[in-house]
Amino acid sequence: MIFASRRALSICIAIALCVLLQAGIRSFSDYVHTLIMLAGLYVTLAVSLNLINGITGQFSIGHAAFYQVGAYTAGVLAAKVHPAVSQLIWYVPLAMILSAVAAAIAGFVVGLPSLRLKGDYLAIVTMGFGQIISIIARNQEALGKAYGISVNPKQQMIWLVWLLAVICIAVSRNLLKNVHGLTFLAVREDEVASSAMGVNVTRVKVTAFVLGSAFAGAAGALFAHGVGFVSPDAFAMDVSFIILTMVVLGGTGSITGSTIAAVLLFYIPEKMRDLTSMKVGMLLSIVIALVFVVAVVKRVLDHYHGTLLKKAGIIVGSILVGLAIISVLKKPLSSVPALGTIVEGSKMRMVVFAVTLVILMLLRPQGMFAQHEFSWRWLQSLLQRFKRKKVGVPA
Amino acid sequence: MRVFDKNNIRHLALAVVSAALLVGCNGGDSKTDETGNGGGGKSSATAGRKAPTAAPIDAQGPTIKIGLVASVTGDNKPWGDDSKEGAQLAVDEFNAAGGMDGKKIEMVLGDSASKPEQAKTAAEKLMSDGCIALVGEVSSGNTIQMAKAAFDKGIAVVAVGATRTDLTDEGSHVFRVCYTDAFQGPVMAKFLFDKLNKKTVAIMTDNHLPYSQGLSKSFKETFEKLGGKVVAEKAYESGGTQAPNYSGQLTEIKSANPDAMFCSGYFTEVGPMAQQARQAGIKAVLLGGDGWDSDKLLTSGGDAILGSFFCNHYNNADNRPQVTDFLKKWKAVPAHNGKNPDTTMGALGYDAMALTLDALKRAGKANSKAIIDALEATEKYPGVSGDITLKGMNGNPPKRAIVVSVTAKGPDGSWQKFAKDYTPDQIK
Amino acid sequence: MDPRTLPQQIVNGVLLGTIYALIALGYTMVYGVLKLINFAHGEVFMLGAYGALFTSWMLGFGPEGTRTQSSPVVLLLMLLGAMTVCGLAAVIIERFGYRPLRNSPRIASLITAIGLSLLLQYGGQIFILNGSPQTIKAEANPYRGEIPISLRAGDKVALADAEKLQPGIEIARAAFVEQLKHEKSEFDLSPKGEAIKKVRDDLEQTYTDKVNKANEKAVNVLLPKGGLLMLGATLVIMACLWFLVKHTRKGRAMRAVSHDFQASSLMGVNVDSIVTFTFILGSVLAGAGAMMYATFLPGTKIDTFFGMAPGLKAFTAAVLGGIGNIPGAVLGGLLMGVAENLVVWAGYDNYRDAIAFVILIVVLLFRPGGILGSSKVEKV
Repeated sequence: MIFASRRALSICIAIALCVLLQAGIRSFSDYVHTLIMLAGLYVTLAVSLNLINGITGQFSIGHAAFYQVGAYTAGVLAAKVHPAVSQLIWYVPLAMILSAVAAAIAGFVVGLPSLRLKGDYLAIVTMGFGQIISIIARNQEALGKAYGISVNPKQQMIWLVWLLAVICIAVSRNLLKNVHGLTFLAVREDEVASSAMGVNVTRVKVTAFVLGSAFAGAAGALFAHGVGFVSPDAFAMDVSFIILTMVVLGGTGSITGSTIAAVLLFYIPEKMRDLTSMKVGMLLSIVIALVFVVAVVKRVLDHYHGTLLKKAGIIVGSILVGLAIISVLKKPLSSVPALGTIVEGSKMRMVVFAVTLVILMLLRPQGMFAQHEFSWRWLQSLLQRFKRKKVGVPA
Repeated sequence: MRVFDKNNIRHLALAVVSAALLVGCNGGDSKTDETGNGGGGKSSATAGRKAPTAAPIDAQGPTIKIGLVASVTGDNKPWGDDSKEGAQLAVDEFNAAGGMDGKKIEMVLGDSASKPEQAKTAAEKLMSDGCIALVGEVSSGNTIQMAKAAFDKGIAVVAVGATRTDLTDEGSHVFRVCYTDAFQGPVMAKFLFDKLNKKTVAIMTDNHLPYSQGLSKSFKETFEKLGGKVVAEKAYESGGTQAPNYSGQLTEIKSANPDAMFCSGYFTEVGPMAQQARQAGIKAVLLGGDGWDSDKLLTSGGDAILGSFFCNHYNNADNRPQVTDFLKKWKAVPAHNGKNPDTTMGALGYDAMALTLDALKRAGKANSKAIIDALEATEKYPGVSGDITLKGMNGNPPKRAIVVSVTAKGPDGSWQKFAKDYTPDQIK
Repeated sequence: MDPRTLPQQIVNGVLLGTIYALIALGYTMVYGVLKLINFAHGEVFMLGAYGALFTSWMLGFGPEGTRTQSSPVVLLLMLLGAMTVCGLAAVIIERFGYRPLRNSPRIASLITAIGLSLLLQYGGQIFILNGSPQTIKAEANPYRGEIPISLRAGDKVALADAEKLQPGIEIARAAFVEQLKHEKSEFDLSPKGEAIKKVRDDLEQTYTDKVNKANEKAVNVLLPKGGLLMLGATLVIMACLWFLVKHTRKGRAMRAVSHDFQASSLMGVNVDSIVTFTFILGSVLAGAGAMMYATFLPGTKIDTFFGMAPGLKAFTAAVLGGIGNIPGAVLGGLLMGVAENLVVWAGYDNYRDAIAFVILIVVLLFRPGGILGSSKVEKV
């Protein structure tokens, strides 16, 4: 009974949060609206790719292609239907479902042949598929060629975006908890063994791939309607790479990780818009400090086996030393005429993003959450431990 | 009694979801744009453009903020950088002249990384920072995103180099300082047919660029209407997946024996293409649009590009006072090392920002709606790239286009030779 | 689909394919040893192009340089420059980007590769010449021009007939030049000038028409000298590589590591040094490819995104040939190049890249290991 009520609670809370989110952010600016919408879409994309790459252990690097299929389906649909229909309230959810179906079909067509094979072939096939889709979009008059097409109505349904994300998370999580899901994990751990145990490996892989593609397609439809315009450039290969990075950085296989990494990685480049300009000398001192800190922290994480507290102490210490290095070096380095040129903050956005990626990967290759998940039980045990300490009951 | 058995849960969940859908629908309509305009672009020529309905915004704080969205990173960096430098020049000049009622102008830069999606978030960020007008983007694909975002807020968008024709249909808040593809394509077609007496042409289009596709299309239409023949149409892709090797396409063009070849892409691709064309034995005269304008064309095109013609907004060798003034100011900026702008976007960026500031001055108050009205009322604004009139023009100023030929670099650094100018009336 | 252009298209394809092959070798060797798709390889290629560019500047072919005579030594130095830069970049990337992640999941290194490639692309835009596109001057290449080969000559009689118009054209041209002295502008003529121009243009038009008609059946192939040099150099490089891998101790160690990483380390192979060596080797080849590409395809734009397109294609080529297989990479590269040009030949230039990928997918369906790759049966 506790289990059941917990689940109901989770569902209710999630839905309530989605609705509240929409109602709560009205007062914020369009910028924040768009950010929240895009963050939600990236969560869906990352979690759905996690279903393919993390949970089933495949290697797809062209997820943006299905995102694009969904977006363009919604775009073409919007151009075809009568304006009166597209103004109806249920139109966007309906378009979302149709786009999901379209993307699922694409996923099936791409996945079936390549998933029969072992090795990294899915990677190259999905990447190729992404290119093919982009090129088709760039050449078809009906798809607006390189310019793109307007999608009406332009409607930022933030509640729907986040509801989709929640559904995506729920589906992934429930998969892990039931028998069908266990076959997915089995395929990830050992294809040969699982097929010997009677698992239809190809079917499991294709199912996961189609499911992931469908969610990406649904996200694409919401993107198209949220922005009101789709163009091939919005789905370039680096979008695929960023989604992939979110999955790996969160911890391949961890839904919680994917979700958090999606929000984080989406937020970092946006936050970097406020970077201040600085001299090259200053930049150099930061780089030196960064290299030092990363080297120390990497060493501590890999080779030092002291207590957690000591580890943390050393890390904090090294960060302090890093700050000291910056403050010592920045004056003399900035005064060197050759290093005196100013680098504009806005141009360093992508660089900072790239550096963050590399550093995070070096320091924690298994991803932020590795394969752990957030759950009520975990929260409960945490609370209980806390309570016990407080009341003083011996464990 | 078990209230929460499995079936009950399912029903409950269903009920909650449907309830949420209803609630969401009723509560979630805060941002609906009911009258989106199609991308087809045939609508608004006579009917007038749809006007934004958002409440006007006044400038807050000690400075007046104007936003600039520019591709200062990514594929379009050479153009984005120039547009930024030009706009900065205009702002500095305006501030040096006393600013607006004692208030200085602050230009806030938003990087679009040459990507449409980021152009949108950049524009929204700038608006949430309190910018009362937006200047920007050198490419049409990015500008449309800005226009969509700015429509909801009723903030003016002054495009720098977005020549896509139907762009300004987005709403009455969109203006531009350049001419459109529907103008420069026909200019080159007419020049080729009438002045160079060439009757067959091959067209090379960069499929990566909306700009190139639009230009090729309008060129082809006019050239065929005049009685010329397009003997080959080939495409390539800049950036992305295609290696900059055009020998395949050029071999096919060679076998079609055109008298001329129209390359509607950017100079970065046209240069090597010209050399490869000569290598493939194509002797046809080459023509192109304003995307050619950079003296890097000479290094990348070598001898092969000399004697070609392209359409430009203005000419550095022009002796109009605006041009000489602008170039003098540009060269005086220390970071420019006494060189002319690399691309036309320097002058257009300057024009776009200067025009916006001029509109601000004419409006008399730092208010978003007032700026739109003042921009719409612009008549014969003397820009570097020519006189700009926006009154009753749906945001598309009728401007003069000049055709220049590419010559070897002279001692003063000039390399464009004026050939012929066209006014919009001559094209109609 | 003009049969007359087919020979030329195949030549174009082979020349393009050589570049793909050179880059594909780097991908394939690193994959063979580490099972890592080195996404930063395209950026190494890009750095190599910059290396060649800067070397050419130092040798007097800079933007302000006035040197116009080049020699093979210049080319050799540029090649060395590019190779050195690539080798250094490879050492740094391998040591600090990949080695710390050797024992982590494979995908972690992949993300580092993506991160590094973003870093090089966008960081380069700030620090390398402010990111503005550059080109190596055509003058730096002493082997310019083409060698024409006529497979089937045109109608000689008709050609000679057309040549008879030449003197007339010369006269008309001279007359027009004379007339221009009295005109304001070449494109704004007086009626008299207009008339002379018309005569000249008509004559020229007749001449071209006649020549085109005479050449209607001619089949010519143009072999660019630079391209031939590139092909020759590539073949030499590949022969050296083949020797190195098959007949030296280092090569044997490489093959051992690629066959079984752990077992070879137990057998006394210094795995770290072999991996570094492989990286350097692959990158040096990419450097050679970059230098030749940027020099022999005149005017090629060098910017920080330069490596993306060839890198992607080369990777595809490596898979096509059988990833991890050295002759396979060469074959895959050549096939890719030829296939692309044949697609253009068939008139689908819009879909040039799309079809290249379709071919890849189809080939993989029938030969999952690639054309020359082994489809090993996995033992349990």
